[in-house]
Amino acid sequence: MGDPIICPVCGRKAKTGSAIDCARHMFGTGDKPHRQWVEAQGLSFIDLLIEQATTPGNKSYVALAEIIEKHAQAQKK
Amino acid sequence: MNKYTVINPHSEFKVINTHVHNIDGAAKVTGRATYTFDVKLPNMLYGKILRSPHPHAKILNIDYSKALELPGVIGVVTGKDTLGVKQGIWRRYQDLCDEQVLTVEKVRYIGEAVAAVAAITEEIAEKALDLIDVDYEVLPAVFEPMEAIKKEAPEIHEGFERNINVTRHIEWGDVEEAFEEAEYIREDWFKCGGQAHMCMETRAAVSDYTPDGKLTIYHSNQSPYYMQGLMAGVLGMREGDIRVISTYVGGGFGGKFELDGAIFCSAVLSKKLHRPVKIVFTREEDFIASKRRTPMFYYVRTGVKKDGTFCAREAKVFTNGGAYTGMGATALYLTGFFHSFPYRWKGYRYDGYRVYTNTLPSTSMRGFGAPQAMFCSEQQIEWIAADLGLDPIEMRRKNSHYEGYEVPGQATIASCGIDQCYDEIKKWIASKGKLPANRSIGISACGFMSGGIFNWFDTPYSFSSAVITINQDGTVELHVGAQEIGQGSNTTMAIICAETLGVKVEDIKVHSGDTDHCPPDLGAWGSRQTLMAGNAVKMAAEDAKKQLLEFAYAQSGYNIVYDLDIKDRWVHAIARPERGYDYGELVKKALRGKDGQRIVGRGYYTPHRKGMISPAYSYMLQGVEVEVDEETGKIKLVDSFTAHDCGQPINHLGLIGQLEGAFSMAAGYGYLEYMPYEDGKLMNPNLVDYKMIRATEMPPANIAEIDTYEPEGPYGAKEAGEGLTNPTAAAIGNAIFHRFGVQMKENPIRPEMILNALREKAEQDKAAGKDKPGKKK
Repeated sequence: MGDPIICPVCGRKAKTGSAIDCARHMFGTGDKPHRQWVEAQGLSFIDLLIEQATTPGNKSYVALAEIIEKHAQAQKK
Repeated sequence: MNKYTVINPHSEFKVINTHVHNIDGAAKVTGRATYTFDVKLPNMLYGKILRSPHPHAKILNIDYSKALELPGVIGVVTGKDTLGVKQGIWRRYQDLCDEQVLTVEKVRYIGEAVAAVAAITEEIAEKALDLIDVDYEVLPAVFEPMEAIKKEAPEIHEGFERNINVTRHIEWGDVEEAFEEAEYIREDWFKCGGQAHMCMETRAAVSDYTPDGKLTIYHSNQSPYYMQGLMAGVLGMREGDIRVISTYVGGGFGGKFELDGAIFCSAVLSKKLHRPVKIVFTREEDFIASKRRTPMFYYVRTGVKKDGTFCAREAKVFTNGGAYTGMGATALYLTGFFHSFPYRWKGYRYDGYRVYTNTLPSTSMRGFGAPQAMFCSEQQIEWIAADLGLDPIEMRRKNSHYEGYEVPGQATIASCGIDQCYDEIKKWIASKGKLPANRSIGISACGFMSGGIFNWFDTPYSFSSAVITINQDGTVELHVGAQEIGQGSNTTMAIICAETLGVKVEDIKVHSGDTDHCPPDLGAWGSRQTLMAGNAVKMAAEDAKKQLLEFAYAQSGYNIVYDLDIKDRWVHAIARPERGYDYGELVKKALRGKDGQRIVGRGYYTPHRKGMISPAYSYMLQGVEVEVDEETGKIKLVDSFTAHDCGQPINHLGLIGQLEGAFSMAAGYGYLEYMPYEDGKLMNPNLVDYKMIRATEMPPANIAEIDTYEPEGPYGAKEAGEGLTNPTAAAIGNAIFHRFGVQMKENPIRPEMILNALREKAEQDKAAGKDKPGKKK
């Protein structure tokens, strides 16, 4: 397992430090700075939330986790 | 005739679980107990509240000049007379403090308070309401959560996109992998109704603001400390300048630990007029302007193996939050947590969304989100067992929690008697023999918490505290913040105190419900008092007893302190109990020895390292025998049986009363208590049209108490009386399923729903060439 992923907004390590846990942390916190970060990545925070709520599975969290992971990798470089 | 049996009884106690009647019973049955409704103060005025007729509107202007001209009217207040503080019980999170009890600019549900009048009589105050002119600009409104999350829905609170108030997510294990392992997957949607708290005593308050800047409030509530803190916040006062007195409370059920219109408006009027003001809600006001159990839409997907092993579960829940947050955020989390109970899931995921609508705010109510969770979970499990041809009891048993089990990342189960509950329910079903053709049995399992560990109120105090003072004659003053709301809390505390100190219940005088004289405590909610306040009382009694025994030891000549004990007011050596003397004599000696200082014992309790939810969990399994009239769809409960694990019962009379009360409330939620809204207006806000279970409709409530020992509880005790609100609705649904083969996905299960389901099934069976539904083969 690579380095733990740190929240790009508040700098916290969520639970295991995985990207999916970081995505859960971002949805769970849901405050303005976290929302703005998601929006800045070209995603709609509220649409992701509604998608997660209205369809089976974990699509929105996975989608956000992928973005977070890419962001983390870009930061590393 | 109800039957009460005890499995695995413990008998080492002198007071605990002996035949103790409620210590305040005599005051209540003789009419001497003073409820808020009974309070009368010199120069007291009577208040009435003007309420919004619109579900969503801006307030443009309020003109109360004509009301002030009515003889007997002393004053009127509106939101403009207040500080306009948006308050809420989730003080730690400002976003969730969203309610002005007397609204300033906007109304968000029919019944919201817009003005309050004080007059010399209630009748004059009522008349004055008609003389207040309010100009509204009516706004578009939305009433259902699935509508309110749509892009085009009106915005109810600024900044809350798609009206989503709060979200909650719980997850453990690899859910997708666990679903992959499943050999059978089932998904269902459910709709769970609201329910009125329906306290015998409606919301009521008397506020008395005096020129020295102090405010005394008599108020019917579940936590005087919460009221003190919240009122200080909205009035801009210091907590210590506000005294809340709530000696007798006519029921709470989760609906009386937030600010209500009675306490807030009476205080604002009293502050303005410098006279005591009393406000008592009518029954209709209690229906339309308090709060209610949270209605929920539940999507549940469950994956199991063919042998019945549970693999994965996923739940998506939308709750109808109504206009304000209240305790709804906690209910949103707890429904998701208890939806997993009492089973082990390899993968579990819950997404909960609380949605604002223009309806009466929803909040906590006895069961705190769990009755909705269990209505969905326990029926789906029954259907899965039927689909797979498995014994539903054994399938449940195979997947249940056990002592030492850890709910991943959430809770550790230190005591668990559910396995024996399965044995007892099987015995009960077997004892019924062959049922008449129009009857069937349904069962349902569940577990519940013993107090919450969360501190959203942001209190710096211990969660529970107690102070004991011993008088020179040996009688004991026990001061607790635990709140007596009719559930027998004072009696439970007296029993724990007497057992620990080694005296009798009649030696204990319990003082509760007064913030000036009792230590702060979070109050009566989430089944917390027996465990949390009970631990504080036990600690205080141990402290006092230790001080007494130090004197006894000094006199006795024994060389170790723990050789001595007090039981039944008898101070003695443990090894030679016949050698001893009277406890009263010891108290006198101890007082003299301390130069007259009284013996004071202190105790407190705050849970630590107890997971995310609660320090301990109760378990239970309920069976109901149900009769359904096939022509009318009318349900009759014929018999019931509950196998129940509350650890060590402290007071079995109180326990029986609590379990019967919970069952009656749960039964009402299952098939009677319906709250229909039309355009945001409740259609049955009265006791004629809102049907509750009556004494004549209550079936026997038979109980088998499985005694376990909870290490975190005082003397091994844990929750009783709230958890049993959870299983009944599902048990009724399961009985109907076994009789007719129809699945009831909405509650309360009403006659027309049964008839519709039977009609649909008949059509399907006809199309498939089968017999009439419900016909026994």
